[in-house]
Amino acid sequence: MAALFQALLGGLVLGLIYVAIAVGLTIIFGTLRLVNFAHGAFYAIGAYVGLVVAERLGLVAGLIAAPIAVALFAFGLDRIVLQRFYEKDPTAQLLLTFGIALVVEESLRLIFGATTLQYPLPEALKGSAFLGPIEYPAYRLLFAGGVIVLLILVWLFIERTNYGLIVRAGIRDRVMVQLLGGNIRRASSVVFALGGAIAGLVGAAASPIYSVDPGTGFAFLVPSFVVVVVGGLGSFWGAVLGGLLIGELQSLTALLFPPAANVVIYLCMALVLLLRPQGLLGESEVIRQA
Amino acid sequence: MSVAAASASEVQPQRSLFAADARFALLTALGLALFPLLLHPIGGYGGLATQILIVSIASIGFNLILGYAGMLSYGHAMFYGGGGYIAAILLVRFMATHPNLWLAVLGAMLVMAVLALLIGSLTVRLYGIYFALLTLAFAQMVYFVIEQGKDWTNGDDGIQTIPNALVALGPWNVDLTTPLPAIDLGPFGNLSDIKLWYIFAGLVLLAVLLFMRALNRSQFGEVLDAIRENEQRSVFVGFNASAYRLAAFTISGALTGLSGALRALYDGSIGVDAASIDRSGSFVVYTVVGGVQTLFGPVAGTGAIMFLENVLSAKTPAWRLIEGLIFVAVIVFFPRGLSTLFKRRETNPRALFRRMVRAATPVEPDPLLKPAPEAHRGGPSSIIETAKLGKWFGHFAAARDIDMRVDPGELRAVIGPNGAGKTTFFNLLAGTIPPTAGTIHYKGREVSRVSGTARVHLGIAKAFQTANIYTDQTVRQNCRLAALARVQGAFALQVFRRSTRLDDVDALAERAMRRLELMDVADVRAGDLSHGDKKRLDIAIALATQPQILLLDEPVAGMSKDEARKTEGLIRRLATEMTVLVIEHDMEMVMGISDSITVLHQGTVLATGTPEQIRNNPRVQEAYLGGHSEAELSHP
Repeated sequence: MAALFQALLGGLVLGLIYVAIAVGLTIIFGTLRLVNFAHGAFYAIGAYVGLVVAERLGLVAGLIAAPIAVALFAFGLDRIVLQRFYEKDPTAQLLLTFGIALVVEESLRLIFGATTLQYPLPEALKGSAFLGPIEYPAYRLLFAGGVIVLLILVWLFIERTNYGLIVRAGIRDRVMVQLLGGNIRRASSVVFALGGAIAGLVGAAASPIYSVDPGTGFAFLVPSFVVVVVGGLGSFWGAVLGGLLIGELQSLTALLFPPAANVVIYLCMALVLLLRPQGLLGESEVIRQA
Repeated sequence: MSVAAASASEVQPQRSLFAADARFALLTALGLALFPLLLHPIGGYGGLATQILIVSIASIGFNLILGYAGMLSYGHAMFYGGGGYIAAILLVRFMATHPNLWLAVLGAMLVMAVLALLIGSLTVRLYGIYFALLTLAFAQMVYFVIEQGKDWTNGDDGIQTIPNALVALGPWNVDLTTPLPAIDLGPFGNLSDIKLWYIFAGLVLLAVLLFMRALNRSQFGEVLDAIRENEQRSVFVGFNASAYRLAAFTISGALTGLSGALRALYDGSIGVDAASIDRSGSFVVYTVVGGVQTLFGPVAGTGAIMFLENVLSAKTPAWRLIEGLIFVAVIVFFPRGLSTLFKRRETNPRALFRRMVRAATPVEPDPLLKPAPEAHRGGPSSIIETAKLGKWFGHFAAARDIDMRVDPGELRAVIGPNGAGKTTFFNLLAGTIPPTAGTIHYKGREVSRVSGTARVHLGIAKAFQTANIYTDQTVRQNCRLAALARVQGAFALQVFRRSTRLDDVDALAERAMRRLELMDVADVRAGDLSHGDKKRLDIAIALATQPQILLLDEPVAGMSKDEARKTEGLIRRLATEMTVLVIEHDMEMVMGISDSITVLHQGTVLATGTPEQIRNNPRVQEAYLGGHSEAELSHP
């Protein structure tokens, strides 16, 4: 029973990471019509920057530095390379962002080495919380709470700001937004940087929980794509629902039948794609544009 | 050159084609023979050369999907690893005493073809990231099966002792691990570095290249290109796009399986890595770096990257980063791959001249092209008839309760204010979208649920509101594709035969071009045409499918007055041979050419009648106020 509860909590933490990455993917797709295979790289960069800064200046500094560094990187990437590919076909965009992910992964390997790193939590955060029958690391609960707050902020951004309006309109009809004179070019760089910053921040915050190696970006990217597809590309709540679903599914399978923990999410995605290709909460017209 | 000389040269391609094939095979064989020798001075070795050749086959198979079908598969390792494991298991379990390479490899190819057929039938309808992720998902499942099926695969340990399979050639059993005789070649190493395996792999690769070369030029390759370029048009000239993609995916799976099987046998072992995500990614890198949509691109890319991996890795830890940078640079600067740097433009002056001569030669009307006997005016039964036809989008009825009957040979105009549901109605007739209510009968047969592709073959063709053409192909090729669909049907697995060998296709295309007065621009790239010519080409494409009903959605929209009048005359002439339904806002044209007019308003039929009746119908005038003025309606 306690193990089950533990697995459910673990699934929540994992799922929230997926949600955060998937939300970034979704708003980027909505505004730029770009399926960003390099999004996992943002997570990894954030994790490494957070780790390095945190080791010298403390965790809070790491959590501030990581999203800023990733946002700058993403902004530059968008301006220098990606913008040329906005109007190209989706396969070219996939290949390009896949290539960027490769380059980032290998750069990280060169700079930080291939070994696995983990940020050691300061004593103050090492405590445990007692939740009914089980004891759970306090930092993980703090992390989950923090990601939820972050997601609420992102939701407010999408629903309440002018940029968010462009994002929402872009998901519906990108061409119309351009015709209306929406400054999609600037908005897209900002949204791209923002999506990156979210992934970077979560990457830094998760570095005491999940260890980091150069392959981490890809390891988190693929499940996050699964999340986006299951939930529905372009749907905020779809990303939330999909992320929690996939996180829990993975965590529970790891408990009940460990060897299948990796494959079960693909099974889930294949079923969703075959039965409801637009995803659980997605809109059907989006699928042809991806 | 006289016409007679031109027709004499028509016979030639047959023979010169064979000569070209032989020359191609010879040059490729020569290149493959020199490859391991040239690899030696730059740090390669015989084994690496063999591996490159074997893995190239997988990249070639992958390119069929990424390059020619235009779909990014992120799961091809399932066929590579799967093929390797099948071959290994066949040898270990069933042929331990008499290991036969042919049986193992063919078995692996066959199983992978079946696997690709099954997975493809679930995936080829999806696009972009969805296709990539779904293929990845299936690859992960295959990986899981391999990892967990420990009784057969040894799980994570892999199969380490695959029996050395022999190549049965008549009475001989050839052992491929035999080295070549020891001859010192100075800087190019020693010939004994190379084993018979290299020659065998080279022959297999050569066969695969010849196959792919034929496939690219075949009718199948032509249609696959067309579907990649413009899927919607391809579906509405009558090609079953999913079937073509599925066939390509199956062939691709079999080739990748062949490669995986050969690699396992060559290595004498196989591990679960062969089916991993990283493996799938490597085919993407190899193929893109070398050049998608090229014959040798995948081979060149595989060679270059595998060389870097094996040679550069010893020199610098940054070798993977260098690979990644090369990959990104290729995508940004040479989107079609490095090998295109060395490729000359394909213009064959002789072929161009032949075409010019042919274009100038009058063509006798083909008996095949006689108008269908049903297409006579005022027949006893309708050619197309709808009853209570409706299309709802959520709570919005774009079309509802449409009852309409068109007689064979009629020229019917469908008019109505913007948003009246005209295009929706045409889409329902053509099968672009399924109806939510009601029925469509075509020549007495219910077709409401028949696919758009199948309706083209029944004789319903459509020209689109915005000219829907293959912009990168010539006008002639545009029409030939439509004619090809008519002559060969929705799907034909003709991976060897060229469509140029079908005379009917040229005749049909030629006739369609003549009817729309496009002969002057027959060899112009369609994307370079004027707006009016593009619109007429769209109609010509529809015409080349030999329709009995032609649906024209605003054929003269955006044309100048002169062009519109010219097109109007062409349409009037077409209507003497087939039934024509036309949506048009140009009232002058509508009143001038139609036999009868149907007015749609708010998704349903407001009135049907002769132009005279419609002009004097008070309800029509009312509906049009605000849309078109009364004056417009009353002046033909």
